[in-house]
Amino acid sequence: MKPPAFKYVAASSVEEAVSVLAEHEGDAKVIAGGQSLVPMLNFRLLSPAVLVDLNRIAGLDGVEENEGGLRIGALTRHRVLETSPLVEARFPVLNAAMQYVAHLAIRNRGTIGGSLSHADPAAELPTMALLLDAEIEVQGSGERRSIPAAAFFDGALMTVLEEDEIVTEIRLPAPPADEGWAFQEFARRSGDFGIAGVGVTLGRSGKIVSSVRIALLGVGQTPLRAAAAEAVLVGETPDADVIGAAVEAARDAAEPEDDLHGSADYRRHLVGVLARRTIETAWRRASGEAAEETK
Amino acid sequence: MSDARPKLIGARVQRVEDPRFLAGVGRFTDDIKVAGLLHVAFRRSDEAHARIVSIDTDEAASKPGVVAVVTAQDIEDLVTPVRVESRMKNYNGTTNPVLAADKVRYVGEPVVAVIAESRYLAEDAAELVMIEFDTLGDVTDPEAAIEPGAPLLHEDNATNLIAERAFERGAVDEAFKNAAYSVGGCFRFRRKSPCAIENRTYLAEYDQGKRSLTLHATTQVPGLIRDTLAETLDMPGHKVRVVAPDVGGGFGGKASYYAEEVLVCALARKLGRPVKWTSDRMEDLVSTSQGFDEIVEAELALDSEGRFLALRADVTGDVGAYSIYPWTATVEPVQVVSFLPGPYRLANYRGRVRAVATAKTPLGPYRGVGRPISTFVMERLVDMAARKLDVDPAELRARNLVNEDEFPYKAGSGLIWDRSGFQECLAAARSSIGYDELRREQAAARAAGRWFGIGIASYAELTGIGSRIAAAPGMPINTGTETATVRIDSTGSVTATFGIASHGQGMETSLAQVVAEELGVRVEDVEVVHGDSDGQAHGTGTYASRSAVLAGGAATVSARAVREHVIEAASHLLEAAAADIEVAGGTISVVGTDRRMSFRELARAVYSEVGRLPREVRETIELEATKMYDPFFGTTTSSTHITVVEIDPETYGVEFRRYVVAEDCGRIINPLIVDGQVHGGVAQGIGAALFEEVVHDETGQVLTASFVDYVVPSAAEIPNVGVIHLETARPDNIGGFRGMGEGGTIGAPAAIANAVSDALAPLGIEITELPVTPERLFRLIEQARKNIEKTEA
Amino acid sequence: MSETQRIALTVNGVRHEKDVEPRLLLADFLRETLGLTGTHLGCEHGVCGACTVLLNGDSVRSCLTFAAQLDGAEIETVESLGRVDQLNDLQQAFREHGALQCGFCTPGMLMTSIDLLNKYPLASDAEIREGLSGNLCRCTGYQHIVDALRAVVKARNGGAT
Repeated sequence: MKPPAFKYVAASSVEEAVSVLAEHEGDAKVIAGGQSLVPMLNFRLLSPAVLVDLNRIAGLDGVEENEGGLRIGALTRHRVLETSPLVEARFPVLNAAMQYVAHLAIRNRGTIGGSLSHADPAAELPTMALLLDAEIEVQGSGERRSIPAAAFFDGALMTVLEEDEIVTEIRLPAPPADEGWAFQEFARRSGDFGIAGVGVTLGRSGKIVSSVRIALLGVGQTPLRAAAAEAVLVGETPDADVIGAAVEAARDAAEPEDDLHGSADYRRHLVGVLARRTIETAWRRASGEAAEETK
Repeated sequence: MSDARPKLIGARVQRVEDPRFLAGVGRFTDDIKVAGLLHVAFRRSDEAHARIVSIDTDEAASKPGVVAVVTAQDIEDLVTPVRVESRMKNYNGTTNPVLAADKVRYVGEPVVAVIAESRYLAEDAAELVMIEFDTLGDVTDPEAAIEPGAPLLHEDNATNLIAERAFERGAVDEAFKNAAYSVGGCFRFRRKSPCAIENRTYLAEYDQGKRSLTLHATTQVPGLIRDTLAETLDMPGHKVRVVAPDVGGGFGGKASYYAEEVLVCALARKLGRPVKWTSDRMEDLVSTSQGFDEIVEAELALDSEGRFLALRADVTGDVGAYSIYPWTATVEPVQVVSFLPGPYRLANYRGRVRAVATAKTPLGPYRGVGRPISTFVMERLVDMAARKLDVDPAELRARNLVNEDEFPYKAGSGLIWDRSGFQECLAAARSSIGYDELRREQAAARAAGRWFGIGIASYAELTGIGSRIAAAPGMPINTGTETATVRIDSTGSVTATFGIASHGQGMETSLAQVVAEELGVRVEDVEVVHGDSDGQAHGTGTYASRSAVLAGGAATVSARAVREHVIEAASHLLEAAAADIEVAGGTISVVGTDRRMSFRELARAVYSEVGRLPREVRETIELEATKMYDPFFGTTTSSTHITVVEIDPETYGVEFRRYVVAEDCGRIINPLIVDGQVHGGVAQGIGAALFEEVVHDETGQVLTASFVDYVVPSAAEIPNVGVIHLETARPDNIGGFRGMGEGGTIGAPAAIANAVSDALAPLGIEITELPVTPERLFRLIEQARKNIEKTEA
Repeated sequence: MSETQRIALTVNGVRHEKDVEPRLLLADFLRETLGLTGTHLGCEHGVCGACTVLLNGDSVRSCLTFAAQLDGAEIETVESLGRVDQLNDLQQAFREHGALQCGFCTPGMLMTSIDLLNKYPLASDAEIREGLSGNLCRCTGYQHIVDALRAVVKARNGGAT
């Protein structure tokens, strides 16, 4: 399983990377962490003529405060997100999700830009981007543009990126204060892609849900927002009936398919289970209660 | 004379192999550097069953760095395909090609070999080979494959049935008619791949001057391969040497004769340069022999007191496209029926088995062979019976396990259990895990709505089998003997040479312990040489839990013989009676005096200082002995596994709470090594029970050709396993050893299946198919809930 | 863009300057170009972990990295840990606890263990098992490896658990 031959360019700037991509009209691929790309090369599922290495581009990584939220460079390694105090403080749901990402050696190399560009619907970061209403900044030969996560993923392993565009930065808007949160994923083994997963952020006002976001992992061609489930909860007190209705709506939002590791029915079933657990946990956290997960 | 020798057998000696592995200077086959090495990449079939219409290799052959591109035609004159025969009645053999000639019979079968200056270049060229196939009929379902009119995989055979066998004793059907109770089911154990972390690698060097061949191979069976290559390459045996250097695990997957293995030999000879093929993981998952693929319909009859009356079973083994050499395709399926009665008292038994060829990777030996399946079926039947009779499952086993006073006991299939601690293992496991307390804990857990299950599996097997018993009935070679040479050389160093081939079992240490104890030296004084067909006139290798018994037995006899000669020489040199000579820790001394000598001094005196011994004495002293050991029968080994699982009642994830193994292991050579074998076997058993499955689609495409889809458990999925060693009466072989490398995979799937069934008992679910994945649990639970609703409606 | 890439990197403290084909995997660079065969290949798709080495102090899969990317890098492989007659404390612990059988996964286990010990407290068996979950072993069933790591954690904490 040796990779096919390619020409190698270590880009020193985004402009250089973009111009090589543009020149080769789809026959060039970028490599950041390589944790998803190189297996595909080793399996000879891909044969790009040129590999453009982004790892030498200065200033493309880092986690920074940004208007109450965060600005994350595309080349930021998973390990950095995992251990970032800023991420833990402002987006504990993202911090929680990072614990599920593969294994340490993969996290040492893999990048957020790479994970979003690879767009595996069973990966944690695309789901987190959707959950947290991320803005994904991309640069190509044309204008720099900013794409909301909801418009970024176009299908399994497909994004709206043009052939000559690369992700440069991800912005997470400021979260509401005291937001509750939860993320749970079910997989065959520790570190595997999830068979299904649910992420929730939830704002509380008195006895009612003031805001809520619910994202589904592994149950569609892309990560999904369970908008109808969100609508069920907003403005309501999340008693058993309300949560039950939200869970139903989350199940209905899922568009799972059969594969080797789980059938569509089972994945939908898992969505229901994990949605209930994460909604309950997020509500308790929003209420300032002990952070213990409903399992 | 007091025996002041330290007891090395039984000591927790640190392994002598370890430093080189830890320092990264082990020597695995792919590590070996030779000048002028060529690399092979294959084009393998992507059709399960098809005629080869044409092969175009021109473009591939023209790529830079490509030295040759070969098909079956090109190697016709270089190597004879092996014809796999058996003396078993009702057996239809196969001829196994090296490269597929007129048709392909499984996805992954090698068709074209590209030989180039690097593996990278070889793969580039392999992509350009064009093969035109004409798809033939599906032969993927073993039951359909023996229906009349099914497409034939081997046109020379009239059927896809490879073999049929039956064992029968007593009046089975009558016993069922009159039985107070019976339980039964259709059980399915699905295919696995051994997945040693080191992929198969073969490096052949042909010496043009001496016309001799050396094959460096990841093999468990170097002697066997040498014997076979001498035939298929038509070379005298003394011109063929097979060396297994450090080998990264085998588990049976490296214990057969492979096409790629002989091909590199033929190519090295033809091309005049050394040739190497290293499998990648994708190839491994479709071309290394697979295991554990049976359908078993079985029933158990009991009397009103819960005593087993009769057992009957029909087994269909899905053995893949070719009968594997030398075990034949019968090795696993026949073991299922011969071991099915287990360690139980059972007068009436009928077990019938059919081994059916399908368009899949050939089946071969995989740790435990047929015993994981037979144990799964029997232990499930026992638990089902316990539930039906409302008797505790441990109690039901105790009632039916063969007792000590019944040994030797002849099982329904004709196997003889000589003696082993069947009851003691069950009792020890129960006690260690706190079984009664666990049942109370379970009651409380159930009341709280938790799915908490306890599963037991008791089994017996034969290890260290001698020439009287074949691993597979009628197989073409003898696996019942091993030979050891113990030699003291002219420097006084001790070397012990074997035909076995350690590949993780720590034989360099454990056999050194045996020789050291018997000879009277220290462990570090013994150099164990293994894994080389030149080592012994005949040897097969390491498989079937045989090395401790056979090689350990041969080592014992050889070392004792040399010791006699050491004492004889020393009695002359130290001027004392033989009875007063003591040999311990590498020093030879006269009891009660300070007269002593080292092995180095003794060797110098015997070999070099010619006048030291009278000539007639010197000519009879042999500081080297070669002894063969044949235990003739086998040694009964047994154990009981008990496990506790909890199933998440919503996600259906299975978690282990406890795992205990009580095994009757005879005389342990090295406890560190023995525990490791149990842990490793249990981990593979857990993989077999919960995670691993080779999956094919309806056309025979393999869907699990990577580690993403073929799911091997990691440290996070495996629990701590408590191991209790029982030393009951010693088995009747020379060392008093029992083989115990396979017990983990034999007992674990059954214990886990029982625990999961127990956890789901409130839903009335019985597990009859492995692996029991979360998806399968989901289906079973949905169905069970629908059934409950229907009954309640 | 050229056919080969010139790289200068340090491997186990030794500086090397080589021209490499861009597609040459780091694992093959180590094994073939430098003759350091202690790093093993088990799957070539990043799952089994046998190929794990340290890149600038971090554990990475050498089967998923191209040597051409590593100009200026510092690589440490299993060969840097000790010698057969002088094993380091981690290697010693593996030996004492029987944490290896065939030895093929062992280099990857060791390099992963080093990074785990640097980055995580490994305060419980569950944490150790989680940390090791990216390295497959078919021989040991993992238990002795966990025992070895637990012992090293304890010893490095001055004997305190």
